[in-house]
This record gives sequence, C-alpha cells and structure tokens, in this order.
Amino acid sequence: MHFEELKINRSDILTTNCDCEKTSQVDFTKVIDEVLANTGREPEKVILILQEVQKRLNWLPSDALKYICKVTDITPGQISGVSTFYSQFRHLPVGEHTIKICAGTACHVKGSPLISDAFKRVLKIDDTKNASADNLFSIEEVACLGCCTLAPVVQIDGKTYGHVKTTQVDEIIYDFLHQGKMSTMIQEQDGNKEVDAEIRVGIGSCCVAGGSKEILSEIFEVKERYNLNIRLKQVGCVGVCNQTPLMEIVTKDGIHSRYTKVSKPQVEEILLKHVKPRKLNKKIRYKINDLVDTFLSEDKLTGQANLPVELREKYLNNFLNHQVHIATKNNGELSPESYDEYCLSGGFEALNKCLKEPDHDSIIKIILESGLRGRGGAGFPTGKKWDIFSNSKGETKYVVCNGDEGDPGAFMDRMLLETFPYRVIEGMLIAGYATGASEGIFYIRAEYPLAVTRVRIALKACRVNGILGKNIFGSTFSFDINIFEGAGAFVCGEETALISSLEGKRGTPHLRPPYPAVKGYKGKPTLVNNVETLTLVPWIITNGADPFSSIGTDKSKGTKVFALAGKISKGGLIEVPMGTTIRQIVENIGDGVADGNTFKAVQIGGPSGGCIPESQADIAIDYEELTRMGAMMGSGGMVVLDNTDCMVDMAKYFLTFTHKQSCGKCTFCRIGTKQMLNIITALSEGRATLEDISELERLCKFVKDGSLCGLGKTAPNPVLTGLKYFREEYEEHTRGFCRANKCQSLIKYNINDDCTGCTKCSQECPVKAIPFRPYEKHEIDQTLCTKCDNCRIVCPEKAIEIININA
Amino acid sequence: MLKIKIDNISYKAGDGQTIMDVAKGAGIHIPSLCYSDGLPHYSSCMVCMVKDKRSGNFIPSCSALVLDGMDIDSSSEDVLAIRKKSIELLLSEHRAECEAQCKVVCPQGYNIPLMNRLLSANDLDGAIKLSLSQTRSSGLKCFDCKGYCENACRRKKIDLPISIRNMQIFIYGQINQDFAAVDSDLPYEKPSKRFSSRIGPVEPGELKEWLKESKNDSIRFREILNMESAALESESCMHCDCRSADECKLRLIADELEVKDPKGKLVNSPIQKKININTGLIFENAKCIKCGLCVRLCEELKEEPALCFINRGFVSIISEPLTEEFDNVLKNRSKEVVDICPTGALSLRTPSSDF
Repeated sequence: MHFEELKINRSDILTTNCDCEKTSQVDFTKVIDEVLANTGREPEKVILILQEVQKRLNWLPSDALKYICKVTDITPGQISGVSTFYSQFRHLPVGEHTIKICAGTACHVKGSPLISDAFKRVLKIDDTKNASADNLFSIEEVACLGCCTLAPVVQIDGKTYGHVKTTQVDEIIYDFLHQGKMSTMIQEQDGNKEVDAEIRVGIGSCCVAGGSKEILSEIFEVKERYNLNIRLKQVGCVGVCNQTPLMEIVTKDGIHSRYTKVSKPQVEEILLKHVKPRKLNKKIRYKINDLVDTFLSEDKLTGQANLPVELREKYLNNFLNHQVHIATKNNGELSPESYDEYCLSGGFEALNKCLKEPDHDSIIKIILESGLRGRGGAGFPTGKKWDIFSNSKGETKYVVCNGDEGDPGAFMDRMLLETFPYRVIEGMLIAGYATGASEGIFYIRAEYPLAVTRVRIALKACRVNGILGKNIFGSTFSFDINIFEGAGAFVCGEETALISSLEGKRGTPHLRPPYPAVKGYKGKPTLVNNVETLTLVPWIITNGADPFSSIGTDKSKGTKVFALAGKISKGGLIEVPMGTTIRQIVENIGDGVADGNTFKAVQIGGPSGGCIPESQADIAIDYEELTRMGAMMGSGGMVVLDNTDCMVDMAKYFLTFTHKQSCGKCTFCRIGTKQMLNIITALSEGRATLEDISELERLCKFVKDGSLCGLGKTAPNPVLTGLKYFREEYEEHTRGFCRANKCQSLIKYNINDDCTGCTKCSQECPVKAIPFRPYEKHEIDQTLCTKCDNCRIVCPEKAIEIININA
Repeated sequence: MLKIKIDNISYKAGDGQTIMDVAKGAGIHIPSLCYSDGLPHYSSCMVCMVKDKRSGNFIPSCSALVLDGMDIDSSSEDVLAIRKKSIELLLSEHRAECEAQCKVVCPQGYNIPLMNRLLSANDLDGAIKLSLSQTRSSGLKCFDCKGYCENACRRKKIDLPISIRNMQIFIYGQINQDFAAVDSDLPYEKPSKRFSSRIGPVEPGELKEWLKESKNDSIRFREILNMESAALESESCMHCDCRSADECKLRLIADELEVKDPKGKLVNSPIQKKININTGLIFENAKCIKCGLCVRLCEELKEEPALCFINRGFVSIISEPLTEEFDNVLKNRSKEVVDICPTGALSLRTPSSDF
C-alpha cells in the first residue's frame, strides 16, 4: 500500500461511520483483553496477538493497535512495522465474506487474472474500494491456495471452488449465499467392529474442494437408508488430486475398488454394487429401482459402477505405479488424525529405536550416510546440518519445521502436514533427540488452516500418549512442540527471515554466518528443516541408510515429492525416485499434456526456478542437474506448460510475485526486481527494444550477485532460463508478436466465419462490445472489448479466436 | 587470530570482526551507506560489496564476518561495477534534486539557498559570514550580473522570483572589518561540478530560459533595505535544493564512483514532505534509501514513539507508526537521528550556520 493511501486511510478510519467501526469502538478493548489473556503479552507474541484480534474484529483498526501498545510492551513502531509487513493483516474494514482468488502458477496459466477481473466486474469492486456496495464481499488475491490441480481456484470463506470459469461468477456467488449449512461432520465409528466394507473418502484440501464433504454425507445417508454395515473412513491425500473426490471401497475379502471423480448421484449405485443391503425389503426396493433406472436412463449404462475394473483404474494405476512412496507411505490408507492407526502402521517405531540408542551421533551418522539433502530447495546435506547443530552449545536448542511453503504452484508440504502429521512429528522428535534439542516449533503458513488443525490434533494426541512432554517412552528424553502460524510472507521460507518472524519482528533475512544452527531463534542454536525432509527421517531410521541411498542418483538420494499441475492431463501429488526424467513424469505419470496441445516446457522450482524446455525433458531430476539447467529443485512445484503459454508472460508472472514478496531490505532485490519487472512489462506490451533485453540480462546478473538472501539471488532465474531457451520468443515481443497469443496488449478477439449468429457471445459480453444480431455473423467492437474471454468460452461453434493485434 | 587477505595483502583479524572492520584498520576505503559504528549492521544498501575470491560470491563487507583464510577482492572492476550498480539503483528511486537551480546557474556558484535559509531564520550574522567567505577574494559580482538566478527561480512560476541579487547586495553592505578579521583564513572555492540528482531531464528550452538575462526590472529594484525586508523576502524561497547537499553520502559516493543520474525514475510512493511542528524535523520520503539507520538508532536510544518501517518490498517506507502523528515522534533526539541519516531525507528546519 502506498504511503499516501495509508495516510488517507488512517483519517478515513477515524471518520467513517460504518458498522464495523462502531462495533470496534464499543468493544475492541474487551476483545483485546480476552485475546491477551490467552496469548500472553510479550512483544515476541505480536503476530499471534494480531492474528487473534483480526480473527475477531475482521480487521485491525488503528485504535485497536494503539490499545494493544498501551496494555503491552509492544511499541508503536513494532506493531506498525509488523502489521504492514505481513499480507495477512488488514488495516481497512472488509466485506463480510472474503473471496480469495488464487494467483498461484497453475491458476495463472489457467487464466486466474481473467477470473479476478470477472469477479471485480460482477461485484463492481475496483482498486479504490475494498468491498462490494452491499459490503458483503471483498476480493483478495492470494499467492497460492495449494489446490493447483483444480486450477483456477477461488475460495470464499472456507468454501473452495475449482475449475472456475469467467462466466460462472454469478453462479458461484449464488451457490455460496444459498448453500445449506455444511453438513455436520460425520463421526467415525468404532474401528474394530466387523463390517462388510470400509469406505475411504479423501479429505485433503483438494478432495474437500472437489466436494468430498458432500460425498461423505451422501454415503452416510445411503448407509442409513439401506442400513448398510459399512465403516466410513476419512483418509488423507492420495495424491490423485485432479480426480477428486476420490472414493475407495475395501470389502471384507480385502478387495480394493477405487472410484475417481465421484458425483453425488453415483454414490448410491457404487455403494450398493459392493455392499448388499441387509434387510429383504430394502433389497427388493433397490432391485426395482435399479431395473427402472436401467430402462430410463442412459447414464446408468455408462455409469462408473458398471465399468470394468481395468478401465476404471487404468489411469490410477498408471499414476501410482511409477511412484515410490516413502514420505507419502500408506497414502490413502491412514486416517490422518488417528494416532492409533499411525502406530498400527509402524509409526513411532523409528523413534523408539532411536531412544534405545544412547549414542546420538550414530543417528546423525545414519542420516549422513543416507545422503538425505534438505528438501526445501537448496539441498544442503541434512546430516551435516544436524552435525553442526548438535555441536552447538546451548541449554535450550530449538528444532523448527519449516512449513512456510510459499511457492506458488507447490503444495507438497501442505499435503504432508495434512495427511501425515504424526510422521512429521516423529521426524522432528528424532531430529531433536539426535541433536540434543528440547523444543520444537511448527512454522506453518497462514493459508493452510487444515494443516494447522491436523497438526494441532496430532500434537494433542501425542501429548496424551506420552510421546511429547517429559521422559518420552520412559526415557530421559524430553521434548515439546508448539505451532506458529505464519502471517503471509513468502520471504519467511528463508530460514533467517523465518526466525525473525518467530521473534515477532518483520520477516527480513540477515547475512549468514552466523548460521541459525549456531545462533538462531532468541539467539539460541536452531535447526530449521523442511517438512518433507523431516517426513523422510522415520523411514530412513527404520530401514537404514543403504535402502535410501540406493534410490536416486549419484549426489541426490531418495525420493522427491512433486506437485504436478498446470496443463497436464492428470495432475496431483507424486513421489518419484531422484533421477526420474521430466518426460517420464509428464508422459507416464501425468498422461501427457491436456486438451490436445503440445508439451512446451516444465516450470520447476517456482519463482526461484526456471522453465525447462521440452527438448531438454530427458534430464534426470537431481539437485545439480537442475541447477546446471538454470532451474532449481525449489520446494518441488512442477507446472507443465503447453504451446498456449507465453514465456515472457511466465517470467512477468514470477517477477511480479518476487517483486511483491521481496522484503525490501537490500537494494538489489528491492529496486532491481522492480526494474526487471518494468522491462519485462514493456516487453509483454510490445514497447521494448532489443537493447532493453540486453539491459534486462545485465540487470539479472547484478540482482543474482548482489542480493542478500535466496529470494533475490534466485529471482532472475525465470528470466535467465527464458532467455537461455526461448530467446527468440523474447525477441518476437519487441516486434509486437506473441506466438502463444497470451500477452493481453498484443492480442485481440475475432469472430470467424464459423459464427452461426446464435447471439450467445453478445448476451455474455459484459461491456456490450458485440452487437446483438441474430442469424448474422457477429462482430467485436475492439474499442470496447476488455478481452475478458467470456465470449470465447460460451461460443458453441468455437468461432471466436484470439489473433495478433496487428493481424 | 584469523588470517584474511584483502587485495592480496594479508591482515590479521579478531574473532567476530567484519571485513569492513579489518579494511578500516588497514586504511582500505570501502564506501557504505547503511552502516554506522555502534549500531547493529543491517546489510541493506549493498554499496560495500566485496568479492570472496574462493567462492566467487559477492558479500556485503559491513556485516560479513571474517572467516579464517578468506581471500577478499575489494578493488577489481567486478567489485566496482556492482557497487556502482547499487548506487544507480538507489538513485533510480531518489526523486529529489541536489542543487537549487539558482545556485547551479550562478556564475559564481553562490550558495543562494543557504543565504535564504539563514535570513528567514533571522540569522544575519550567519548570512554575513557566508557572504564574506564567498566574496573575500574578488568582491560581490552581483552588481553587474544579468541575474540568471532570478530567471531560474522556481518561484517565478507561481508569482515572482525572489530578489536574490538585492539580498546579496544588502548583506554585502553589512560586512564590516570585524568579520573580515575573524574569518580571514576561510577559503572559498567555486564549487566544482559534482554529481547532481534531478527529477526529469533538463529540457533545452528550460536551459535557454535560465541563461537569459533577467528582464523584469521591477524585481531588480525590489528593494531590500533592512533585515526585516530581507527576512520577509527570503520567506518566499521554495527551497528547491537539498538541505544535505554537501554532506549527503549518496552524493559523495555517486561522485566517487562516477555514477550518472539515471534517466527514468521509479515511483514507489508519492513524494511527500512531512514537518514535525514541535521539533522542526523534516522527513522527505523521496530521498530516503531505506537503510534503516534511523530506525536502528531509535531502537538503540529507546526513543518512543519513533520512526519505523511500514510496508514490505518496493513500497516499504520509513514513517511514523500507524498509531501516531508525525508531530509526536522523536521528541528528544531529533538531532542525533538527523545526523545519522546518510541522505537528506531527514533534516532539521533550522539551518546550521557552521559552513
């Protein structure tokens, strides 16, 4: 927010008479007092305090900030600096409901900017307003909701809508306002009861967004209606996120049957195919209904339940067979919140094994020998990090699990935390035991509420069962874990920035050394490990170093979890051995590029990574190899691009992101990325020259060399790989040509001769740029057209094409 | 004891010393903006970059700790290029002018803005001293001058230019022998051409306009007869120059590294000037390089309410806290905070006459 705006806003806040202001005037002191009673008043708790206050007031009035300063030791400077640094905090009142439009990579390539425009247009919200006229909705663009396979995604309050089209805005808003009260959570039954079948339904974020809650309630209803003897089980992510909701039936005889993209009407049919009703009259009723259906409906014949198993599961098997599950072991089988199930599946055995091992260094040695490297992106050997940390002297030492997965297009950490919270906890405990730490902190980003809930439940269960706290498993080892919720700053994924944030400061990184392993949180030694790294630890301890190091390449061992999304037929969350080629992933697991387009490139590593062209897709995935290509392992986002994606647009997208997320501390990142963005914006608008491209290249080099932390040092990568592999595309833009027809300023919409005059486009056009002429060929008034894409979507004849502006 | 090589010469360093510390001890000059002795380092400006020859990485010497066996390059082309680029980047969002036009076009380079400031603060002695230092060797040249200064005066665009020459003449008339005796050893040199930041390029037409003879005779004879009228006249000055034009580190380093003023300026926030009516503290956001020295000093001094960072990234700024008015910040220690500011972003309204 600009300075002057802030200034104006402040006076606005004092003079506006809206309701929220009144309520805050009346009782915010009471609210704050209540919050402080729970959170504590220490200055380092400032982020938590602000989060809690905002939860109740919906925004942060400046009087509330003032009051917090008055009753705590937090200074006005600290509260102002912190609350304006993190994007989660709002200094203006907002509408009752917040529409979050995902601006992640996958959503971007699938058209999220147009979706955002459509919502703004329908709700009549522009840059000067923060809420719709009725004060019901506010729009917020968020970095990534982590539902990349459902792109483009929109979330209103807690409800997620996937595969959104620009023409669906009204529909979505109607649906949101008229939705029935969320069906009450269905209780899981006693796990030991003898049942005819176990029904597993995925409840990861993607599945929930795909409608698994509705499926759950439908199963429950069918169960009641026919009195079926089944157990309903809610399981974590299977990784097949593009086919949600997912339902698996395990019958008494141990046969698994999987169904993808289940819809509500299909539930009854599928269930009754596998489980027979117990009472005679119900059986008869079912039979009759079934017969009638067969005659009356075509659906019935093609319905999923009647497809042969091979056909139904072909894709699923393809998807799953090329994978090796270590971090994601038992996916789709475990109920994420259940402590007992985790233990039954061999959970906490590794911890037990460690606790019996008095020589802590031998544990570190196993990790060192396994060749495990940090999965956060840079790939520092984990064993080495543990070793340095273990040798740091200090009474209190901390282990931090870095779950601040900010990369747009990546959602591995979210899925791991949501699905295997116990495994991450076990990994953290082992790290703590091996290195002599006594406290753990989960740093989880604010956009992952479900992950926070699951981890919280898991921590509670661990405490009850003596896995956390004093003398774990009767040993001398004591360890406790807390959760810290991030407040929306990508830069906090950098470990020194993360620590600043934990300390209640602005999340700015600092120069290393001193490394956190020596001097970190509160000046004490701190070990920061990525979620995936910790998830791999229990398996390595149980199975030994060799089985792990036998997987993978020379320098990169084990497996890597990737979030496969973008223009791929079958996206999802996959775990593959290091050394798998990009082509194998795209073609075998992902089943190639969707919609009959051609495979152009893969974007790996998000804003710090780069685009690897199809011609280089046979390289094996490996830390060194990817760096050599100019990309980066990053946290593991893998967005597939096809011929309709423009490389300049991609670079612009990532630069916009890094520029927005830069903390603003060092000159090169703060101003350098802005200058780069300016050049690339000019390029995407056809205003740049070849000399500008050279200038851009020089600037990239300086920003790479001169920035303080990883964010700035890697920010030029998307541009550099673009220039390396797609230079001609950059040069074309200087001549006003975008071969992918993506750059808004270089394209126009045109109606060709296939037009039948059905008038659909004219009706759908929000700016009346297409005159209503039934049975005639329609035309677009280019002076009015806003390129919203609505006409192209609704045209039944595909007569609307995007062409070069000069054509 | 740690060993370190800087530009191929070996030095010894203590534990916890930074490269900058060693360089200072060895008399090696490394420019820097965001660093100050006694304050926690922040590595923001990146002007103090040096190159670690072993890794090939560039590191900010103000905060990089000496590691044993380090081999540092502080003078190669690469290092100078990256330092230069950092200054260029900082200047690209530095939307301010170093010099006032009246001073730039004055054939003698008289410090007209300072004279105006001294007069408007009723500091006649200061103004006399200034005049004396400028005129001792060759006398006041305003009598026969064509008055380019008045032509270039921005006040002209609003109503009338300031009667600069008459004020000069009035002050010159006040000089008496006493002053000459006191300050006889004060040298005066016509300022050499230095780096000068400007908002937008100088248009050829504009330049022509400045160099014209001042024709408006009515102004030429707007009489300045006493201190009262001089003070009144000087009040009309718009202070186009920077109050720290001579001390500004950004300018000094730009001079040193021979950086040119970037053509296009970036806009991170609207240009604003805030004045604290209680202390006379002035904050001009467009001159700020966000080095955070003032914020760190305030924390050190435990001054509350103080200045703080607001926002993140490119649009981050230094400001008073959201909960406070600018008039209430830095009640006691304005002077120290102004002194530590490397640019003219923070200044005090009262001019210092110790030129």
